[in-house]
Amino acid sequence: MKGMLNILSAMLFVCSFIYAQTNDDQCFICHESTGDEIAELYKHDVHSQRNISCNACHGGNSRTDDMEIAMSGKEGFIGVPKGDDISNRCVNCHSNKEQMKKYNSTLPVNQQSLIQNSVHWQKSISGSSHILQCTTCHNAHGIVSVKNPSSPAYSLNLPALCAKCHNNAVYMRSYNPSLPVDQFQKYRTSVHGLKNERGDTKTADCSDCHGSHEIRKASDVKSKVYPSNIPKTCSNCHSNSEYMSGYKIPTDQYKKFSSGVHGIALLEKNDLNAPACNSCHGNHAATPPGVESISKVCGTCHALNAELFSGSPHKKAFDEKNYPECETCHGNHHILTATNELLGVGKNEICGKCHKENLNAEGFKSARLMRKLIDSLDVQILYAKKLIDEAEQKGMEISEAKFKLRDANQAKQETRTIIHSFDIEKFKEVVEQKGLTVASSVIDESKKAINDYYFRRYGLGVSVLIISGLAFTIFLYIRKIEKKKNF
Amino acid sequence: MKVRLQKIYEWIDQRVQLQDLINFMGKKYVPVHRHSVWYYFGGVTLFLFIIQVFTGILLLFYYKGSADLAFESIQFIMSKVSFGWLIRSIHTWSANLFILSAFIHMFSVYFEKSYRKPREITWITGMLMLLLGLGFGFSGYLLPWNELAFFATKVGSDIIGDIPFIGEELKIFMRGGEDVTGATLSRMFGFHVALFPALFSILLIIHLLLIQRQGMSQPIDFENNSGNEISKMPFFPNFFLRDILFWLLVLNLLAVLAVFFPSELGRKADPFAPAPAGIKPEWYFLFMFQTLKYFPANIWIVEGEMLGIILFVAAGFLWLMVPFWDTKSSRGQKNRLTNYIGLFAVIFIIVLTILGWIS
Repeated sequence: MKGMLNILSAMLFVCSFIYAQTNDDQCFICHESTGDEIAELYKHDVHSQRNISCNACHGGNSRTDDMEIAMSGKEGFIGVPKGDDISNRCVNCHSNKEQMKKYNSTLPVNQQSLIQNSVHWQKSISGSSHILQCTTCHNAHGIVSVKNPSSPAYSLNLPALCAKCHNNAVYMRSYNPSLPVDQFQKYRTSVHGLKNERGDTKTADCSDCHGSHEIRKASDVKSKVYPSNIPKTCSNCHSNSEYMSGYKIPTDQYKKFSSGVHGIALLEKNDLNAPACNSCHGNHAATPPGVESISKVCGTCHALNAELFSGSPHKKAFDEKNYPECETCHGNHHILTATNELLGVGKNEICGKCHKENLNAEGFKSARLMRKLIDSLDVQILYAKKLIDEAEQKGMEISEAKFKLRDANQAKQETRTIIHSFDIEKFKEVVEQKGLTVASSVIDESKKAINDYYFRRYGLGVSVLIISGLAFTIFLYIRKIEKKKNF
Repeated sequence: MKVRLQKIYEWIDQRVQLQDLINFMGKKYVPVHRHSVWYYFGGVTLFLFIIQVFTGILLLFYYKGSADLAFESIQFIMSKVSFGWLIRSIHTWSANLFILSAFIHMFSVYFEKSYRKPREITWITGMLMLLLGLGFGFSGYLLPWNELAFFATKVGSDIIGDIPFIGEELKIFMRGGEDVTGATLSRMFGFHVALFPALFSILLIIHLLLIQRQGMSQPIDFENNSGNEISKMPFFPNFFLRDILFWLLVLNLLAVLAVFFPSELGRKADPFAPAPAGIKPEWYFLFMFQTLKYFPANIWIVEGEMLGIILFVAAGFLWLMVPFWDTKSSRGQKNRLTNYIGLFAVIFIIVLTILGWIS
């Protein structure tokens, strides 16, 4: 009997233990029963949907209803993680490929390595942890997919999320005082920002240009917004005709830009002074420049051209006809190196589009004369160069003339600027006084050097003849005197 | 005309007894034998030296010896000064021919054993002039202050720095500091136009006086063959006219070289630019430069390059002292050993120069 009692009590103990160790999430049950707001958030959390309990981040035992045991240090309970511990808890699973596979997750597992190389992974002011933790952007509880509109990292919410810090001048001053804090306001004025505000999730938000976990400083060559990377970053969307189909704008800008003078300078020659998309369109406030402001935009670099154009008769004419200023002659994305063909009234020549022999005749004459002048300068420069090459080939010292030829080429460059005044007298002055005069002096010097070369040859011939004659005379004289003395 | 010239001659003769000099020269005789042709190289060397002095003075009118202006002044001489290109080209080419002619003269004297007693001092002054001639070449090479000259001087003075005991100090003295700079140019200019010409002139006067005093050396065979009458020709006018004939031929050669292969100027020296590939010294230093290249980095405990320089210095010293150790020749006996040594030296210099040129 006693034995039976013992067996019964043992069974009761086991049963009670098993009762206490249930499959239910005791953390959630208990916290929900107390009306805890966090438990409410947890209900919608992606982790809750995959039965990942609170103990994954907080430690402890979620399967016992005994609070003392569940939240005991013996069970690994750590309470609220602090500082870098927060992100460490996340990466325990999110950087573990096998672990993520168990939950049928399609998320990448490299967020940790990406963020470690990002600008946000620098130490906070206290130095005890890094600036950002995963929860800063994704929340701590109630974490949902970034595609879920309730996620702070959802496309429509993202600008405001980033602005929390980047719009806070006091906070940003602690880390990067030179960084502007008006990006959010600018963004809201941009085409992207306006569409985003209206609920268009396809338009660019912060992460489309800067990346999400891998955000680097704009001066970092690996940054998506490093000057020479910007065209590619913009083209991710703007060159995708399918993606852009609803917006009714062309998708060949990247192709045109990269084969134009600016694209070649930036992308092939790595000239970071060359403009990228944002130089003309703005970055956070990106929008196409208006017809009337094109010369101002181009004028930020081509200041003299813009100034001359503003004072030229074309300014008024273009404004009246609503022609985009620089773009009318040079195009926009596919801007090519200016050649003489841009000037003139012949077939396919730009001036001839508006100026005909019987329409705007004065401009027609001026354009024809300007073309004639610039062509003659070209011919003279080419001729001078040919003569310099010939003189050099003949071994003549011609470095000064060669150096001078640079001035003629410089004058040719100057014509490219002065043309924007569309003033025939000013143009003539540059071509004739600076270009043609120098070129003709170079031609004279080169010709002189070439003539000198032949003079040296003839001079040598005469000298050799005289010296040889003298030598021969001496030879004959020696023979004569030695014949007499019979040597 | 003839009468007027006669009057001028008499006027000078009354004052400096010109006739005595003519009589003296008329009594001077030059031995005639199958090796007589080598006698002319002494005169050719002298002629080329005179051209060097003459063209050098003309270049000095325009040349500016500073790092900022040297290159530009040569450029000016080459392009603006009337016949400046010709003067510079002749100066450069006659420098090269001078060294060549001096080498030929030196080897001909060596093989003829003309250094033997009593002409030891003539030999030593000649050898010292040859060394000074090389010094002229080295110092003059830097003066245009172009890229090639700058780096060649750097390499050359680095080699001098390897001379045991005094090398480093000598290098710093030559460079006017640790590196080749404008100070080096000033020094080289000073050596080239003042110090070396002064020393050379003293040696040349001694050398010429000794030749006048002792006359032309005869081959040993001639001296031994005292039974037969030795063929001779008067120095004036026969040998003198032949000398002039030779000089005119050399002048022709110089003119052709100067016109067809004018001196190039290249690019201005930039001490911060990397050394261009294939830097080589002037051809007369090539055999030494090339030999040093064959020495390994270290031979036993001695640095290879230093050992090479020690060997060259030792060989040069022995060569200089040949009249004192070749006692056989001084006694009028044949000495085949010196011939073999001389032959080896000629072949060595030619082969190593060619190897240096094509490498």
